[in-house]
Amino acid sequence: MDPARRLGPAQIDVVAQLGVSTLLLGGIYALIAVGLTLIFGIMRVVNFAHGEFLMLGMYLAFWSFTLWGLDPYFVLFVAIPIFFVVGLLTYVLVMKGVIHASHNVQIFTTVGLSTALQNVALVLWTGDFRFVRPWHSSVVLRIGSTAFNLSQVVAFIIAVALTVALFAFMRWTHTGRVMRATAQDRDAATLMGIDTDRIYRLTFALGIAAVGTAGVLVSPLYSVYPTAGLQFVLLSYVVVVLGGLGDMVGALIGSLIVAAVEVIGSYIFGTAWKEVFYFVLFILVLVFRPAGLFGQRGAENLGV
Amino acid sequence: MSRRFFALTVATLVLGLSGWIAAVHGQSGEYKIGVLEPLTGPLAFEGKRHLEGYEVMRDLINERGGVMGKKLVFAVGDATDPTAAASEAARLISRENVKIITGTYSSTLCGAASEAASRQNVIYWETSCVDPRFNKRGLKNVFRTEIDGTGFGWYNVEFIAKHLSHRFNMRPNQLKVAFLSEDSSYGQGVTEAARARAKQEFGMQEVAAEYYAFASTNDFTPIIVKFKQLNPDIVHHIARGNDAVLFWRQSREQNFGFKALVHAGATGYGSPDFGKALAADGNGPFVLAEPGPGFKVEGLKADAQKLERDFTDAVKKRTGTEPYASHRLAGPGLWLLKLVLDQAKTDDLDPFRSAVMSMDLPVGSMINGWGVKFAENGQNANERVQHYMLQWQNGQMVTVWPEEFTTMRAKWIPLGAWDQRK
Repeated sequence: MDPARRLGPAQIDVVAQLGVSTLLLGGIYALIAVGLTLIFGIMRVVNFAHGEFLMLGMYLAFWSFTLWGLDPYFVLFVAIPIFFVVGLLTYVLVMKGVIHASHNVQIFTTVGLSTALQNVALVLWTGDFRFVRPWHSSVVLRIGSTAFNLSQVVAFIIAVALTVALFAFMRWTHTGRVMRATAQDRDAATLMGIDTDRIYRLTFALGIAAVGTAGVLVSPLYSVYPTAGLQFVLLSYVVVVLGGLGDMVGALIGSLIVAAVEVIGSYIFGTAWKEVFYFVLFILVLVFRPAGLFGQRGAENLGV
Repeated sequence: MSRRFFALTVATLVLGLSGWIAAVHGQSGEYKIGVLEPLTGPLAFEGKRHLEGYEVMRDLINERGGVMGKKLVFAVGDATDPTAAASEAARLISRENVKIITGTYSSTLCGAASEAASRQNVIYWETSCVDPRFNKRGLKNVFRTEIDGTGFGWYNVEFIAKHLSHRFNMRPNQLKVAFLSEDSSYGQGVTEAARARAKQEFGMQEVAAEYYAFASTNDFTPIIVKFKQLNPDIVHHIARGNDAVLFWRQSREQNFGFKALVHAGATGYGSPDFGKALAADGNGPFVLAEPGPGFKVEGLKADAQKLERDFTDAVKKRTGTEPYASHRLAGPGLWLLKLVLDQAKTDDLDPFRSAVMSMDLPVGSMINGWGVKFAENGQNANERVQHYMLQWQNGQMVTVWPEEFTTMRAKWIPLGAWDQRK
């Protein structure tokens, strides 16, 4: 008997719960993907070390909570400037040297950075699984028969707010316009007097600040360990491709689509199938709409 | 002045010479074996514990005369993944000249490592992996002291049928079981063995069998929602890492009420991290593993009792905690290797192999309660590798079954409401 085929009030509860799970999981994916899409879209660099900055954010939350009893939601405010500076430093020390190099060189560099950061974490903090358990991590909100984890609801709200803020920043501020101009044509932007190096530095720092913040926010939900980033990073690439490179709102919608495929696929066909489904989707989008589901044609080459 | 100089020179020479003699006759009598463990990467936290178990037992062995009259020393290799396991095995053999390799904690590593060892005809002594394929390859150089995964499934169903079902006032064939497992060879091996025995021997009703990739599963709610509708009495969940914590936490969130959850092995629910993550919220799950608190040492043979106490003390001294399952797999596994080497008096494969085959020790002979009787395929007989059911009770994993081996008793049968398990 396939539970998915039963009808009745129980079935409505199931659909409602699956809907809620999709939204909340999508929120987490969006939180992680916005920083990636920003760096990807403006700098044209695939940052394979993205997941490791997420992991560092999780460790920041873990140590602040363990050593000083600080709630992750408080750490959030400290994390934004800290990771902005981490992003700046990483750009100056690592990315600046390869920003004009070929994609292959950039890929090797960021993969190297990823492995290096994982092993730094392993040496400093061992491979143990660690946990952040603030009071809100075990609070469950119930509406009707559906259950919401409070930490997940907060992560979702912040994900939406972050996406909207970045979207507005890119669309309506002078710096945002300059960033888009740099993405569209680096040489022309330079001729117009734009300091592209400064723009890249800013973009990278913003992207890392976003993912570091995401790490702090997901820390009450998932275990903290040196390779925690790998659990999410593959998904973020799917999200970024679905949503269109550099498209913030696309990233949010892409996250929800990936989460829906994962949740509904797991429910109906079994968890073993979920990666098959979203990677098939990933390939189809790359083949038929390389600019992403919501991007304009040609944007994959040009920029936003 | 010159006499004093002369005396000093003589003294120095004598001291140096005696040191040299000691080096030749005492310390140079070392016997080196290769130890392969995942010391970096996702399996590192358990790999390091397993290595600790080896090191503690190595020191105890050396206090008791070493192996074949020589001091036992290790050449350690880091087996992060199967590729590294194979290349590190090759390095230990060619650079460190070891004739025996032991390890590797994980079922994902032992296949590759033992394959590499057998290519060079080196003895491979596995003490913790349970992959059922390990001893089905016809390799003459490969031995395993630990049970194979099918034995884990066998014990889990034994516990469900003989200990749980009557306490639910149900017959085994009335029980509805949902099988959930991570999709490595370990998870699949245990789960398939449990499914087969549950169905064929006891007629239990299988309501679901789900596999998932543990490294990329971020949400269990779809599975939990599905399981809730199927309403199983037992969830048989083989977990691997934080998937255990995630499934348990989300089951609580979804108010998923089952009567018992049964797991096997030192990972997932069997890892101390589960207790650290959930404390009293983690009360209830059963874990088939090596004995923990509550274990009656008096159930062991006399010489094993003494060694058990020394081992436990040494682990406590080193780590500050009771020995974990990984310690209790590595320690006795290494001790058994010492017994075999002492009997064979050589590490040549043929005499070593006959020494292994001639061992016949009843249950209770090793410090974790194991007995010894190897089959031709190099596997210690499953019925001699006594296993125990442990249960999470207020942040501690305690031994609850078989009851004749323990002072502690299982609680929450059946599991009540989520907030009633204190």
